[in-house]
Amino acid sequence: MRAAVYLALKDLRLLLRDRAAAFFTFVFPLAIALFFGYVFSGTTSEPLRVAAFVEQSSPAATMLIKALDEDGGFKLTVTDARAAGEQLVRRGDAVALVIVPAAYAEGIDGVFSGGGAKLGLVVDPSRRAEGAMLVGKIHEVAFRTVFAAVGDPVQFARVLDRMEESLKASDFSFTDRLAIRTALSRARTMSAPAADGSAVKPTASLADWKPVSVEIAELSMRPGVPANSFAISFMQGIAWALFGAVLSFGSGIAEERQRGTLVRLLVSPMSPNQILFGKALACFVTCLATEWMLVFFGMFVFRVEVSHWPLMVVVTLVTAFGFSGIMMLLAAGFRTQGGAQGAGRAVLLVLAMIGGGTVPIVFMPPFLRVASNLSPFKWAVLAAEGATWRSWGMSEMLLPLAVLVAIGVFGLTVGTALVRRSI
Amino acid sequence: MIRVRDIRKSFGSIAAVDGVTFNVQHGEIFGLLGPNGAGKSTAIAMCTGQLAPDSGSIEIGEAGSPRAARARALIGLAPQQIALYEELTARENLVFLARVHGMPEPVRRADELLDMVGLLPRARDRVATFSGGMQRRLNLAAALVHNPTAIFLDEPTAGVDPQSRTAILDVVQRLATEGRAVIYTTHYMEEAQRICSRVAVMDRGRVLAIGTVAELIAEHGGESVVTVDSLAGEHRVRTREPLREIERALAEGGATAVRIEQPDLEMVFLALTGRRLRD
Repeated sequence: MRAAVYLALKDLRLLLRDRAAAFFTFVFPLAIALFFGYVFSGTTSEPLRVAAFVEQSSPAATMLIKALDEDGGFKLTVTDARAAGEQLVRRGDAVALVIVPAAYAEGIDGVFSGGGAKLGLVVDPSRRAEGAMLVGKIHEVAFRTVFAAVGDPVQFARVLDRMEESLKASDFSFTDRLAIRTALSRARTMSAPAADGSAVKPTASLADWKPVSVEIAELSMRPGVPANSFAISFMQGIAWALFGAVLSFGSGIAEERQRGTLVRLLVSPMSPNQILFGKALACFVTCLATEWMLVFFGMFVFRVEVSHWPLMVVVTLVTAFGFSGIMMLLAAGFRTQGGAQGAGRAVLLVLAMIGGGTVPIVFMPPFLRVASNLSPFKWAVLAAEGATWRSWGMSEMLLPLAVLVAIGVFGLTVGTALVRRSI
Repeated sequence: MIRVRDIRKSFGSIAAVDGVTFNVQHGEIFGLLGPNGAGKSTAIAMCTGQLAPDSGSIEIGEAGSPRAARARALIGLAPQQIALYEELTARENLVFLARVHGMPEPVRRADELLDMVGLLPRARDRVATFSGGMQRRLNLAAALVHNPTAIFLDEPTAGVDPQSRTAILDVVQRLATEGRAVIYTTHYMEEAQRICSRVAVMDRGRVLAIGTVAELIAEHGGESVVTVDSLAGEHRVRTREPLREIERALAEGGATAVRIEQPDLEMVFLALTGRRLRD
């Protein structure tokens, strides 16, 4: 056991002495995390996936939801509970949750009388560009619904009633009140249904009106939502850290073989299993070190929050274990350093990319999102996100952790057996 | 110390080692001579436990098979290929290996060995900066970190400068003096003649002859050639008793110069295989 630890320490020292390998293991993931953190635009050609929760059903709320649903820019999912909607946002299945408060209908009624409608919006801060676009769209749709409400004689009559009520309570002068009453009376006449029962056509002046009282009451992060885009990109960086570590150590056995030192190790009192354990240990430690480096860097510099420290510890351990298994499979597959590094780079690069290493999984088209399940990087990133901004509990963590453990067990068992046969 | 009994190893239809038997005692330097492909490296791989023989047996001291952990602790191997970590310093290489072998005070042990091979002043330098000869010396030192008693040196002087060659040969002789059993493979006949107590000539997986250098030369080297220069010209005589031939030439008078060409291991090899060692 002690000999295996010395072997691992030697490999770590070699890694640090090899500037290129050290760069790709420690610096490159950080660079990737910073790069994507800064450039996340969050733009996509797909309709924005938005969740909506209506606190209390009303014609106005129904009209708004219908308008959102019919708007080509959204793909709307209406949830029964606010928590369910927030969960969709947390999981990245929706950019934001639109909350239609119970007072929304009343707010619409009082839109001209000092009240005003309010909407809640829980947005994924890592996708602020989309969030900002969404706010604009909400304004637009809200305007249309208010406009439609004004066009509905019954609802408009209620609006006028409400305005007259508020006029009574006001301290306006008699002259002003008279002028306003006259205007309201004219408006009532204008909005009266036509002889054929159809609603009044909106006039051009009314169409230009901006329902400024409709405001987004809540556009802030909530627990379980990333504080910023770096919360996403630093978890993506973990994928590249794992990529670098696996690539560095995956060719380790081939390298020892090529430089002749494998013979020395085999002639030493170390058993082949101890040698392989030492190799896996070096990879494991490197994976852990780079994961924590990214977590701490993100935490102290970019306010990336770890929601559950014990889970984060478990995630990093399990991820390092899983990728040590992948390293062993890579080591088993190739007898030369060049072969292991070349083929390893090609295979791992594809897996890292479809696993969310470049484009976050939530931005991927559906078919690619399904394909990403095949990538161990996806599960590593997902688990890391779960312990940070997704604020997952153990039950949600179970799947990614189980997948990573399974990968580790498979890789270490099969990889070790294959490497042992080859040495 | 090292007992090899009728070991055989085939790779497919090719018999790399075909019934090799020899013993090496404590304090003995045993030379394995043969061209490339003779089976020397395969034999060493089996003796050091890297390969299992198809048949036959190998015992290292009382520890038995070289594949047993106890036996591996007794084995020191300097492979033909320089087997070092170039990115590490000379001291780091030896300290790592000493630790892997569980040696107490690995740094002190590393420095002892660096001193022995004349590399202590370069202890902190990376191996990548060393000359070929220095790397060979360190390669030898790396085989000795755990104080082994059965030492296998595979072409330890290949491609080195005269200074390093002398240093390496001195170390090998010192190891034998300390009572260790050394198996030494080489292409250089003069090295084998200089340091080997006994020699086995191998070709095509078989041991063709085994014995001391003198015995092999006497048995297979053929006759010496005595050349006598005189006013009458050059006179060459093949004889097994060159001194008697010289005495006779001197007694006859007229000799201006006398030269003796004694048979060597190269001639032994030629006689045994019909070709030169480096063909």
